[in-house]
Parts: sequence; C-alpha cells; structure tokens
Amino acid sequence: MSRAPGEVALDVRDLRKAFGGVHAVDGCSFAVPRGKISGLIGPNGSGKTTTFNLLTGVATPDSGAILYRGENLAGLKPYQIFRKGITRTFQITRIFREMTVLENMLSVTSLGVPDRVARERADHLIGFVNLTHLRGEYGGRLSYGQQKLLEFARALMTDPDLILLDEPAAGVNRTLLQHLLEQIHQLQEQGKTIVIVEHDMNVIMNHCERIFVMDYGVKIAEGPPADIKDDERVIEAYFGRRR
Amino acid sequence: MERREHVRNLALLAAAAVVLGLLPYGLSVYLRSFVLFTMMYVVLALAWNIISGFTGYTSFGHVAFYGIGAYACAILVTDYGWHWVPTLGVAAAVSGLVAVAVGYPVLRLKGPYFAIAMLGTAEGTRVIATVWDSLTHGGLGISLPSAETSFQTYYAMLVLMVLTIVVAYGVGHSRFGIRLNAIREDEGAAEALGINATAYKLTAFTLSAVFPGVAGGIQAYKVLYIDPPSVFFVQITIAMALMSMLGGKGTVIGPIVGAVLLYTTQELTWVNFPTAHLIAYGLFIVVVARFMPRGLMGFAIDRGWVRKGMVH
Repeated sequence: MSRAPGEVALDVRDLRKAFGGVHAVDGCSFAVPRGKISGLIGPNGSGKTTTFNLLTGVATPDSGAILYRGENLAGLKPYQIFRKGITRTFQITRIFREMTVLENMLSVTSLGVPDRVARERADHLIGFVNLTHLRGEYGGRLSYGQQKLLEFARALMTDPDLILLDEPAAGVNRTLLQHLLEQIHQLQEQGKTIVIVEHDMNVIMNHCERIFVMDYGVKIAEGPPADIKDDERVIEAYFGRRR
Repeated sequence: MERREHVRNLALLAAAAVVLGLLPYGLSVYLRSFVLFTMMYVVLALAWNIISGFTGYTSFGHVAFYGIGAYACAILVTDYGWHWVPTLGVAAAVSGLVAVAVGYPVLRLKGPYFAIAMLGTAEGTRVIATVWDSLTHGGLGISLPSAETSFQTYYAMLVLMVLTIVVAYGVGHSRFGIRLNAIREDEGAAEALGINATAYKLTAFTLSAVFPGVAGGIQAYKVLYIDPPSVFFVQITIAMALMSMLGGKGTVIGPIVGAVLLYTTQELTWVNFPTAHLIAYGLFIVVVARFMPRGLMGFAIDRGWVRKGMVH
C-alpha cells in the first residue's frame, strides 16, 4: 500500500539496533500517518521503547533511516531532533523533581523566546492539564498521575508537530486517563500527529486510527483496530500459537 | 509582581554595598581583613554554586581557578611590573580559558567521577605551579612588591562580590538557570527536551571559574606572598562546597549566608579555642548535615518561610 508523501509524518525504514547479541529492533519499517493518532503495540520486550529511543535520538540506530520532512534523523542528538518538532514522554515519568511545576514547563522553551511568551504558554498548558493549583509545587511532590500530566504538558511547550507518548495510561486512574485522552484528541484536531505506545488495549483500540504491532524487533502487522483485533499473527505474538 | 521583588532585592544589595563601603574606616586592620576574607568566601561559594548547585556537577577542584588567578596576578606584578588592577582581568581570562579546556572533556563525566576528575585537576595545577620554575618561581613562591594599603584590596573584593552576587542572581532567576537546573535533575530528559547540555554545562562551568580566578588575584595582592600549597589548598575547595551546602546549594541566598556563617564560626572558634577549633567546626557541620540536609534555605522552604522555586 503506497501513500502520497503528504500523508506520512514519519517514515521509518529498516531500522536496526542491537545491544550485544540482543537485536532489540531488527529491521523495523513503518510509516506514521500525518495528523492521526497511531498506536505502537507488542508484547513486553518486543522493541517498542527502543524504537521510541531511536526516533528521539536517545539511542543511535545501527542502520536504517528515519525520514521526517525529507530529512534523515538517524544519528542526530536528542536536542537536535527535539528542535525539529518531535517530542516525547517517558514510560516512567522523568519530570524534574526539585523544580516547581512552572519551572518544569519553562525549562523547555528555548532562550530565544521572550519570557512573557514562555510564561503565558506555560500557564496556559498548566491549566490545560488542570495543574494550576500546583503551579508552585515541586514536581517530585505531585502524585504519579499528576506527574504524567505534567510531563505531557511539558512535551507540548514548544508546540511540536509529532508527539510520542510512551505508556501514557500506565499508573493513571480512570478519571485522569479520560482527561488525558480528551487532551490527546484535542491535539489531533489541531493537526498534530501522535504515536502512543501502550499496553492498555482499550486505549489503543478505542483511540488509535492505525496500529503497528511489533514482535521480536520487527513489525508483524499494521492496520485499523478492527483488523488488528482478529489478526492471527498478533494473537499468536500475544498468546502463543493455537493448538 | 516579580519585577518588584527583583528591584527590592537589588536595592537591598545596594544598601549592603554602601554599608560595606563605609565600614573599613571604622574597623581595625584585623577586622578589615576579616570582612575582606568573608566577602572572598561569598564570591567563592556563589561561583562554586553555579556549576555544583544550579547544574548539579559537584566540583572538588575549584581551587584550581583560584590558584591560577593568584599566580596570574603575582607573576604579572612581580616579573612584568604591571599595576595589580589590570592583572585581575588577565586572572579572569586565564581561569576562564582553563575552565573551557578542562571542562570540555571533564564535564562528560558525572557524579563522583566528575568530582574526582576535578580533584585531580586541582592537584595537577598545583604540581605544574611547583615544577614550572621559569614561570612560577616553583616551590619558593612569589613575594609581591609591597604597595598595599589594605583599603585597595578591600574595595576590589567588595566590587567583585557585588558583581558575583548580581551574576549569580541573574543566572539563578533566568530561564538559563532553570535549564541548568533541568540538567541537574535529569540530564537525559533535559536533552530530550531540546537542551544542548554540553553547551550549557560548559558555559556554567566557565562562569563558575572566572570569579574565583579574580578572587585569587585580589587575595595574592592582599597577602603579598603566594606559593603552590597556599593557593592550591584543597581546604579552600572544601570550604566552597561546605558553605554552599550549609546555606542551601542551588539557591542564591544560601551560599552567601553559608559563607558568612561558616567563615565567622571558623574565625571565632579559631580565636577562642586555638587547639580545639577544628572539633567545634566539625561539630557544627555534623549538626547542620543531620538536621538540615538541604541547608538553611531547604529548611526554610520546607517550613513555608520561603517559596519553592527560583521563578514564580
């Protein structure tokens, strides 16, 4: 299936990364559709987080290409990739613990942006995730769910085009999760591209338009939720072969 | 509202500077020296705090820059006949350049590895100063020609201290400072959020080296004799770290308060208990570390006396 170039936000081609003898990502290719919410799923150890790390420069690919706006991102440093409009959250939150909520937000904006603009945006986003009452509190004093929201808001400070969310639902209660998902849909309506790694199948099946399934470092299936649900290879990867 | 706070703080600093400016006329030579060295430790602690408190790279070798500054001043005054004031500019430049050269490789190390590499750097500079006879006069040290009135160095140190406070305050309350804090909290996450950690760390490190360099220069002209063991004295680095930690590292007021308190305590215990002063000094540190692990400022923040964070 081929797509017009305008429809693809991120084109990943034959990406490979080995740690010693472990081929964490082993020739993975997929094309993330622009302006949509996509899901990346797979059993534990299938290479999802490593793929995220490769896409954001946290790890350097051994080979393969990551094409974004006609440019190969493979091998760039994290801050360089970030400045091209790609941002992420982490599986286990990595907020700045001894800094206030406001400071967490402001740390992301580059120094070229005037202070007033940065503060307005920070306050707007703090409100967007309902943390205004904790604006002056240390990040480390927030509950885990609130830290997830803070990390999510922080990732939006620079108005990125492509947002990678690594297990946004993990450890977040239902109410908070519902709120988070609403925010994600709002971003999509603004034209952002979102990729979610998630184990919660309700989140994936109900909120993603396209799903990529990984197992042993390769993509084994791709399609809309309805197709993925019944895909033999996916069921096999998760539950083993039927007797 | 925040602007009003900055204006108020600057006014307080200006008032303190005026008082300190008038002070030496009413003081004995001993007390004048005491105030001068207190101001010097404020400079050292605040500068150390920029890389170690704001950025989280604990340096155990910052005395290297102090010693380099002292030697820059002493050599230029003694061997090249310079007036001592312009040598302070050279002291700043040389310590800054050395910081760039040392920082580029050493700032790749983290935590204890960085701390030990800096300890090695300081020892290295001491050894170089000892063996490079033709430049530094080696282990004999350098005696500076005496023209000092004790007022000149006092005012030089006062100006340097005010400048250091203004810079530390500016860094601490800016987005540049916040980004340094982000590196301290989680360097990997900071980089993933667009912060070029290498460039920020090197800038902070260089900034934190320049002020001790100048302080070393002034001190050389104040004491009029320097040799490698006295200006590359490891205890000076330890003092910088202890003072920052006592007051509360990562804040601006903390290192100032810590320097004043610790230097005063040290001087009082030394005067009153010449044999036991180190024990008293040590006890003081133990009590603070036990009951205020994040320093006086951390203690005040936890009780809600001071707001959390550097920007509001």
